[in-house]
Amino acid sequence: MAEILGAEIDEEGFLLKMADWSEEIALAMAAEDDIELSPEHWEVINFLREYFIEYEFAPAVRILTKAIAKKLGNDKGNSRYLYSLFPYGPAKQGCRFAGLPKPTGCV
Amino acid sequence: MSLTSIIFTLFCYLSLLIFVIGLSYKIIQYSRTPAPLKIPIAPAPLKRSGVFMRMVAEVFLFKSLFKASKWTWFFGWIFHWALVLLFIRHLGYFWPGDTPEVLLKTESFKYASFPLIIGLMGLLARRIFVDRIRYISSPSDYLMLILLITIGASGMLMTFALYYPNMGLVYSFAEGLVTLNWSELPSDLIFLVHIFFVFILIAIFPISKLLHAPGVFFSPTLNQVDNARKRRHISSWAMQKETDKEVSIEQNLEKDE
Amino acid sequence: MAEVDIDKLPTYIEIPAIQKDAMAGDGPFKASAEIQEQLGFPGEKIENWQQVAIEKMAETTSKYRSVQVFLDACVKCGACTDKCHYYLGTSDPKNMPVARQDLFRSVYRRHFTFAGKYFPKLVGAKELDDAMLDDWYNYFHQCSQCRRCAVFCPYGIDTAEISMAAREVMNVIGVGQKYSNQILGRINKIGNNLGMPEPALRDTLLDLEEEIEKETGIAVNLPLDNEHAEVLMVTPSADFFAEPHIDGLIGYAKVFHQSGVTWTMSSYASEAANFGMFIGSYEVMRQGALRIRKAALDLGVSRIIVGECGHAWRVAYSFWNTLSGIGGGASDEYALKLQRQLDSNYPQPQHIIEFTYDLIQKGILTFDKTKNDHRKVTFHDSCNVARGSNMGDIENGQFILPREVIKAACNHFADMPKATIKSSTFCCGGGGGLLTDDLIELRIKGAMPRMQALKQSQENDGVNTLAAICAICKSQFSKVLPNYDFDPYMIVSVHQLVSDALVLSDKSQTKAEDSL
Repeated sequence: MAEILGAEIDEEGFLLKMADWSEEIALAMAAEDDIELSPEHWEVINFLREYFIEYEFAPAVRILTKAIAKKLGNDKGNSRYLYSLFPYGPAKQGCRFAGLPKPTGCV
Repeated sequence: MSLTSIIFTLFCYLSLLIFVIGLSYKIIQYSRTPAPLKIPIAPAPLKRSGVFMRMVAEVFLFKSLFKASKWTWFFGWIFHWALVLLFIRHLGYFWPGDTPEVLLKTESFKYASFPLIIGLMGLLARRIFVDRIRYISSPSDYLMLILLITIGASGMLMTFALYYPNMGLVYSFAEGLVTLNWSELPSDLIFLVHIFFVFILIAIFPISKLLHAPGVFFSPTLNQVDNARKRRHISSWAMQKETDKEVSIEQNLEKDE
Repeated sequence: MAEVDIDKLPTYIEIPAIQKDAMAGDGPFKASAEIQEQLGFPGEKIENWQQVAIEKMAETTSKYRSVQVFLDACVKCGACTDKCHYYLGTSDPKNMPVARQDLFRSVYRRHFTFAGKYFPKLVGAKELDDAMLDDWYNYFHQCSQCRRCAVFCPYGIDTAEISMAAREVMNVIGVGQKYSNQILGRINKIGNNLGMPEPALRDTLLDLEEEIEKETGIAVNLPLDNEHAEVLMVTPSADFFAEPHIDGLIGYAKVFHQSGVTWTMSSYASEAANFGMFIGSYEVMRQGALRIRKAALDLGVSRIIVGECGHAWRVAYSFWNTLSGIGGGASDEYALKLQRQLDSNYPQPQHIIEFTYDLIQKGILTFDKTKNDHRKVTFHDSCNVARGSNMGDIENGQFILPREVIKAACNHFADMPKATIKSSTFCCGGGGGLLTDDLIELRIKGAMPRMQALKQSQENDGVNTLAAICAICKSQFSKVLPNYDFDPYMIVSVHQLVSDALVLSDKSQTKAEDSL
């Protein structure tokens, strides 16, 4: 089984146990994808984690964009902006950095 | 009777026996195998009459093949129709006693051998020269075409190239097979090749891809009516399962709540 | 944008020369033991897998006439060889439908036919060895079960049936695909593919209600578990989560609002998709259908309507009645109860497009089509709707109704080239359990024929919007459009077009609220 900073990950790079997550892991995952985490990235990651802890599920992309709009301003509350932060998708790449399971389905 | 005649007579019955038993087995197998789900393929008919029209268009016109590939359709279609005409033309040989008027009028069907050969050569050429079709071809796919070409070519040699066998013997041999009044067959090599390959063709019918002939009628994508919402379609094994397991399934579902 | 080398879109599609092993590989990620066992399959490849696989093949051919006839009837005419989008996009000869079937057929011949038993070389019969199993796994997960090949086959041979059979054999010996089987585990446990629990679903729906009210000033409900609703709406869970799907969900809500028909979704059966079809398992597919039947019974609805999901509609339209007696004719206790409960004035189940179309025909919906004037719309026929279902109970209704709904909401509509739509539609490239990142190269390449047709429409008719009625298509297009230099936001739900142009009136859904 592959690992990142000692935490087990699955074949797609997602943490097996959410409890293993740390900011260092998020940074290391981002580095693997050639992304330097900005404060805006952290807003997304933190919101994903907060939402997940409350609902045991990642927020719908629409809910995420609205939350980001509230925090970072309306011009950034859209999926184009989120894709500029997370080129592989705010839901998938964002969830990975946030230590959440990968949302899969017809999405 | 000569040994050749005896062997060929036996061959004929053997191939017919394999044909009848094998084909019956396959047809019974197809009809007994349930089709558990409605899977008609678009454009799917909503009524029985539509299915009938669809089968007519597929069986007589090769409609789907026409949509798929004009060349394959052209070669395949002329070959199959030529084969039908030539089959009818051969019936006269086997007719016991006086040949009926209508069969005598099929003399000109002999020219169907030209489209037959053209069709088969076209199909063979596609198989050899188109890389995709070459890739999917097994030796048997080539041999099947060569077999048919040989039958057609040997027939044409006897009909058009003056290699006539003794027609009296042909008639009495063929009639004899039907009336069980066996007689000598012409010993011309070309004639023997012709009928030997025909016997082979008959014998391999139920164990080869020639099963496409009965298969097309049993194909659920073609022969089903698209009316699943209105009428319940259920297979015997699924019904069995349903009655056996009905309670436990509902219990499972309760548990999930 | 995923990094896969693709050629520039051609002006027209040339049939590629074969390139052997162009897509050779290990296939998508395999399911873990935990995932496999949830579905009742062995956790890993079993010891005597060959024997069990052959036995399973015998069982399948005896239970499925389709498989039995299709294995026998193929004459290798080659009509299908250039019909598969994955072949056109990858040039790998094993992606030609007949060659894909032959992976299964060669083993069938070896074990179940006279010629294959005694003359294997002659008829291309082969043993099911490790290499063959690897090919099965790789190439039966390069088939989106779109059935385009079957439209062109003179015997109606449907590669999807073979690919489903092969996937089931593989599952039975413990070789399953992670993506599909993980999702099936979740639907059995939580009720939807995503694994979205009820509180998250409820919160999302509330959020959407707020959004609609904020944007339109009108309160439109998205009810969940409302026991007094007329309609149970079953929609793909992607509609609750993904873009652009969610705007389609808003569209359904607005249509129901205008119709005055009360409706509800179910937290117990919050999924229309049924991946049981993709893995060829009658049993697993039936479990999914029974969940919906139970939800309908518990909520006491009189109608069941299915949202924009391609294979869900095939399963609902063609299979639900068979699997769970939703429709007429089943005789078990629950089916009979459901038959008494459901309104026989409507087809059961119905598609949301049928529902909206009826309202349009009756003049109940008013549209301001100018709201969509910035769009030049084309419609992508999703394969399972196009080739495996009907709408409106009229011949070719599944092609007519969605287009009529679009035209009612939009002034500018143009179809893509004729050879690529309706029954000849090209798959989006992501159907049949392939919508997973580990198959991204295949998905991008397989989208080529659809993208090529779209480009033609863009050039000829100025098309800038691609509408679809399938969650998989929408997700797949969002992902692959940029690879072909299209705007990923050009893909929309048909009900998003409806939503944008529908004139809402302020009739608060008193019926639903009173009864709560």
